[in-house]
Amino acid sequence: MLQNIIDFCNYWWFRYLMVTELYMVEKWERVTIHVIFAVLFCLFWYFNYSVLLSFTGSILGITPISDSIEQQAAKIA
Amino acid sequence: MGNSNGDSGEVQQERQRNCDISNSWNKMKGITEENMPKECDSSTVELRARKNGFKDNVVEAAPTNGCLKNCTANTTQCATANGTACSNSNSNSKQSLYTPAKKLSEFAAEHTRKTSFEEVPLHTACLTYLGFYLLMILGYINQLLFVPKVAKEENREGYVTLYDAFESFYSRYVYRRVRDCWNRPICSVPGDEVTLKDRVTNDYGWSFQFTGTETRCLNLGSYNYLGFADATGPCAEQSEETAREMGLAMTSTRVELGTTQLHLDLESLTARYLGVEDAIVFGMGFATNALNLPSLISPGCLVLSDEKNHASIILGLRLSGATTKVFKHNNMRDLERVLRYNVVHGNSKNGGKPWKKILILVEGVFSMEGSIVRLPEIIALKKKYKAYLYLDEAHSIGAMGPHGGGAVDYFGADPKDIDILMGTFTKSFGSAGGYIAGSKRLIDFLRTNSHAHCYASSMSPPIAQQIYTSMSIIMGLDGTDTGRQKINQLARNTRYFRRRLAQMGVITYGHEDSPVVPMLVYLFSKIGAVVRTLTTRHIAVVGVGFPATPIMEGRIRYCLSAAHTKEQLDYALEVIDEISDRLGLKYSRKPREPNTIEY
Repeated sequence: MLQNIIDFCNYWWFRYLMVTELYMVEKWERVTIHVIFAVLFCLFWYFNYSVLLSFTGSILGITPISDSIEQQAAKIA
Repeated sequence: MGNSNGDSGEVQQERQRNCDISNSWNKMKGITEENMPKECDSSTVELRARKNGFKDNVVEAAPTNGCLKNCTANTTQCATANGTACSNSNSNSKQSLYTPAKKLSEFAAEHTRKTSFEEVPLHTACLTYLGFYLLMILGYINQLLFVPKVAKEENREGYVTLYDAFESFYSRYVYRRVRDCWNRPICSVPGDEVTLKDRVTNDYGWSFQFTGTETRCLNLGSYNYLGFADATGPCAEQSEETAREMGLAMTSTRVELGTTQLHLDLESLTARYLGVEDAIVFGMGFATNALNLPSLISPGCLVLSDEKNHASIILGLRLSGATTKVFKHNNMRDLERVLRYNVVHGNSKNGGKPWKKILILVEGVFSMEGSIVRLPEIIALKKKYKAYLYLDEAHSIGAMGPHGGGAVDYFGADPKDIDILMGTFTKSFGSAGGYIAGSKRLIDFLRTNSHAHCYASSMSPPIAQQIYTSMSIIMGLDGTDTGRQKINQLARNTRYFRRRLAQMGVITYGHEDSPVVPMLVYLFSKIGAVVRTLTTRHIAVVGVGFPATPIMEGRIRYCLSAAHTKEQLDYALEVIDEISDRLGLKYSRKPREPNTIEY
């Protein structure tokens, strides 16, 4: 069971390396690219969370849940 | 999508247009006979006037005994094609033999049905570009941080760098990573099987060490179409005999002391094989194109070249200085558009005066695409617009057609409709060198003017003998039907292999009768992975990527041979099926054949 899962993950990891051309590069390059990918992902996530979310919220007139929770909390307090 | 050449929507229109051409062809047929000698005359005079060398020879070389009018295409009648014994002639026999029974529209429909250039799935296209950019970025980072010793040009104060920057960057930091898949040394005859010399790299492709072991592989990479590359058998024996008798080199050019009876026999046999008046042979296939094109065309001439033409043709065109216009691969619509525009508008650099000559330059089988030229339609166009046709049969001669006569034979066309027939002996004949065949006037002209004839060393005798023997076998002159069997075996292998690949769901390019089978894998990593995996399973193939193909179209190229047996192909197909599943190569979205494919 566990072996199957490991095999499955290994196989798809291999396929992922293949389509991103990381299969044929050196190990340190692979790590560098993954770090860059991770950093990019985090930056996008932060950007979406802090800028895009409030921007779309204000355009569409949706109050973020966090705001209403804060208001409720303030009332209770 | 699917079964089209990228212009599927235009098929209907194209048919209509083909009918027009077909009509004009029928009209032309009547008058071409009278026109041809006249055209030849004027072109030869023009060509000779351009050259300043060998003027004294012109008179001698002019065909005094040429059978220009009465040499028929019927090879049995024209036994010694170079002139003297051309027995007969009525042009009617030729007409009945070679006039295509089918209409051009049918040829076009057949081409569309048999040729496939399936489009790449969008996500694969995106990933391929993304991957390529990633490789380039990593390459630049790598180059910044690590400059290995080999990459430095030292002690070059004041000199500009000798090696082109981008190319050296590309080969060092992109190609180097999968370099083990190319330039693989072999140590056996490249027959149906080949022995690879094993090597390893401990520094990511910068250097290789031989391990001392060898791997015997099924050979799906050599252009050994008819299986004549062999160390035993009649070809090898006769070549050996010739080598013992005449040595290995003529150490002279053809116009000095380099011509032997063997060369003359080979030339007349080649002419007979192709059904034309005369032929000339050269010691190198690549040079046949690169060095003869400049003697045929000059600045002020126009060349219409297919976009997928081989490097030798492109080099020849550059050397010639002629204006080159490229038309889309095998696209008759585009060819006619360019032709018509240039016939109407003339040479814009010369105030719109007519071009000196217009030459259409195509290949019989395109080596990277696996497609076959649309010969009947091109012949019709060339007659309609009075252009010359140069057909490079490097990959098709021997490998195509019921008699192994190349694309001309495959379409049942009249070889005289093609002004210049070029081909090489390096593939189907298992030898080296190339030929140009055509009218006697053309060949005599080349004998006086071609650099490859006048200055290059003469063809080595055993090489010539190998061609002579293998050609005799193909023609059945040895009294056996070995040649015919080989041709049939190759045709069967090709059909079977291509249909099985299509059934698997991988994307292959080209015509279903072409023995060159490119299988699209798109990504660089996949080229590397496929070649490496197949080597571990004892199959040797060739991967092709950028810059030999567009960035997007990395591929694995299989070359089939008459030497392969069904069992060998079945083994290869089984392995290919398995790895296509594992590496994700089954991109095709076409319906698949549900039934078992018969050999």
